[in-house]
Amino acid sequence: MSIVDVVRTLPSNQMVFHVRRDMALVQRFRVDLEGLMTSYGLAEDEKAAFRAQDLKRLAELGVHPYFLTQITRLFHGSSRNTQGSAAIQAYVKGLTGAAE
Amino acid sequence: MANIVCTMAVAHAPGLTGWLEVATPQQQSNLKAGYAELGRLLRESRPDVILGFSNDHLLNLPLDNTPDFCIGTAPEWYGPAPWFLDWLNIRPYRVGGNPQVARTLVRELDRRGVSFAFRDDLLFDDNFSVPLATLTPDYDLPLVPVHMNCIVPPVPSAARCFEVGAKVGEVVRDVLPEHLRVAILATGGMSHDPGGLRYFEIDEAFDRWFLALLENGESERALAECSFERFLAAGDGGTAELLSWFIPWGAAKGRKARVVCYEPTVAMRCGMGGVVWEHGG
Repeated sequence: MSIVDVVRTLPSNQMVFHVRRDMALVQRFRVDLEGLMTSYGLAEDEKAAFRAQDLKRLAELGVHPYFLTQITRLFHGSSRNTQGSAAIQAYVKGLTGAAE
Repeated sequence: MANIVCTMAVAHAPGLTGWLEVATPQQQSNLKAGYAELGRLLRESRPDVILGFSNDHLLNLPLDNTPDFCIGTAPEWYGPAPWFLDWLNIRPYRVGGNPQVARTLVRELDRRGVSFAFRDDLLFDDNFSVPLATLTPDYDLPLVPVHMNCIVPPVPSAARCFEVGAKVGEVVRDVLPEHLRVAILATGGMSHDPGGLRYFEIDEAFDRWFLALLENGESERALAECSFERFLAAGDGGTAELLSWFIPWGAAKGRKARVVCYEPTVAMRCGMGGVVWEHGG
């Protein structure tokens, strides 16, 4: 996994880029992820990876690594983003399959 | 001719404002003292405007058309962008801009072979919000922000950033209005790997090596050895943010910098610190 493997044209990258800029899209990510993914044209394997919060798969598909932790924050919240936070634990689980 | 009155570079990790309390007591103390000192130095230089250079965290520079540099031309800025508020634990703020300085830089850098994209709708996350909150907590120093592409390859080389910094310094000294007091502040780095396989590691040896180059004024060696691959090895997803530090180093003509503070703060998932070039000139 490296930033040199990013696929800029990947719809997932476009979606996450725009979501973080717009609180209306953040809300839609939370309540209508399926519709949001469809509107951005995500392929089925991208959608499945988001549903499963499978960060390893998202990275394999070309999602920017920087987005991976932000995706866990979109799912689990951002406040006090310490190693013990739900978002960071979801990051660990999403990459390794096991919490720290 | 305008005067460069302060030349500085700092790391901007969100943990500094968001969860500093989980760092070791010694690290907390040293970072609080260090950033207080950096803030004092910046404010006491009495700049009329801060030229800020920071990496963009894929928040502004579009993935479908990614410039190396994008300068903000708005008369005022608001931050942090809403989604980042609770993450950063920073209250909403307003800081002034300076469209005239921004537009002059675009025009004059064009004439010197450096193309800056420009726009007036830049959003700030930790990149400018953490430095502003810690160094200028009254948000009373106007900011002209420049967002750089450091983490979406291909990125500009250290040599290119140093060259751009030199030309920024030239424009400030030769073109901006006489008596204007200008601070050049870079934010980004140090070693870290957000989202990557070394997310919970700091490459302290790399950080101290890089800081030693600055302290010794070894800019030519830094340009030769700070390849993109070297940055990746020290933290794939974030260490290349240190490209921003080559802007003030170039503006300072490769002179020595003083390390004000450094801490390998694993709890913040980022090496943290800051340097100041002693003579702005």
